Amino acid sequence: GNRIDTSLVSRHKELQREVCDLTEAEEQLDELISKCTLQLRLLTEEPQNNRLGYVRCQDLRQSFDSPDQLVMVVRAPPETQMQVTEPSEGYQVSLRSTQGPIDVFLCPEDSSGVC
Amino acid sequence: IGLPTNSAQECQNLEVERQRRLERIKQKQSQLQELILQQIAFKNLVKRNKETEQQANRPPPPNSIIHLPFIIVNTSKKTVIDCSISNDKFEYLFNFDSMFEIHDDIEVLKRMGMACGLEVGKCSPENLKIARSLVPKALEPYVIEMAKGPISNVYITGGSSAN
Repeated sequence: GNRIDTSLVSRHKELQREVCDLTEAEEQLDELISKCTLQLRLLTEEPQNNRLGYVRCQDLRQSFDSPDQLVMVVRAPPETQMQVTEPSEGYQVSLRSTQGPIDVFLCPEDSSGVC
Repeated sequence: IGLPTNSAQECQNLEVERQRRLERIKQKQSQLQELILQQIAFKNLVKRNKETEQQANRPPPPNSIIHLPFIIVNTSKKTVIDCSISNDKFEYLFNFDSMFEIHDDIEVLKRMGMACGLEVGKCSPENLKIARSLVPKALEPYVIEMAKGPISNVYITGGSSAN
């Protein structure tokens, strides 16, 4: 069984090294993810960006450009919960906010550019 | 005596551990990619709006724009929608008699081309240049990887990028 031993030992070593590399890679990813999350928050919260962070009604219409589509916009405070039923149980959406009222409106189809 | 069995067992454990970590890394990579896309898309949107406002010399009428964050629910015009709203507008209940789709604002930004096509790995050299300029140096290797196409394998970026 000596040969099996050697191959097992080398396999073992190899696996150990791989797991070690993966651990390092994962730690690197964790760090990048938390940095990126913070950057994104600072970016969107910055007042000038916050003011300029909008889409036009025409952008929405072009994004869902099928003439057959009705486009509803939902603007809700943070931590609003959205629940969707299983398709087999019907098509239902519920919204529940705790921090303020929810706004829902339709995206108009006419080209006036006004919501 | 018994050593081979132990090593074999330990190899198996390591193998499981390796697989588990690979799965987690894959998940975290797509999470990171999504964050990068959001960053690029948001910056492009702000840039576009700023330029448009400068050209027009004024901001657009408030009722013609929708600020982020928002969610889109779209369905066929033929769909009958039954909607109940609580008095304080804190609760809504929608019943649709047909299928509907839900999209977040980032999906809209992607459809508007704000993510430079990175979301589908279709990014022209010019767009890649723009995308790279919008992220910190440490994230550039990921952007370059995303530009090549959808990522299926786990990749590990080197500590230093060549540029």
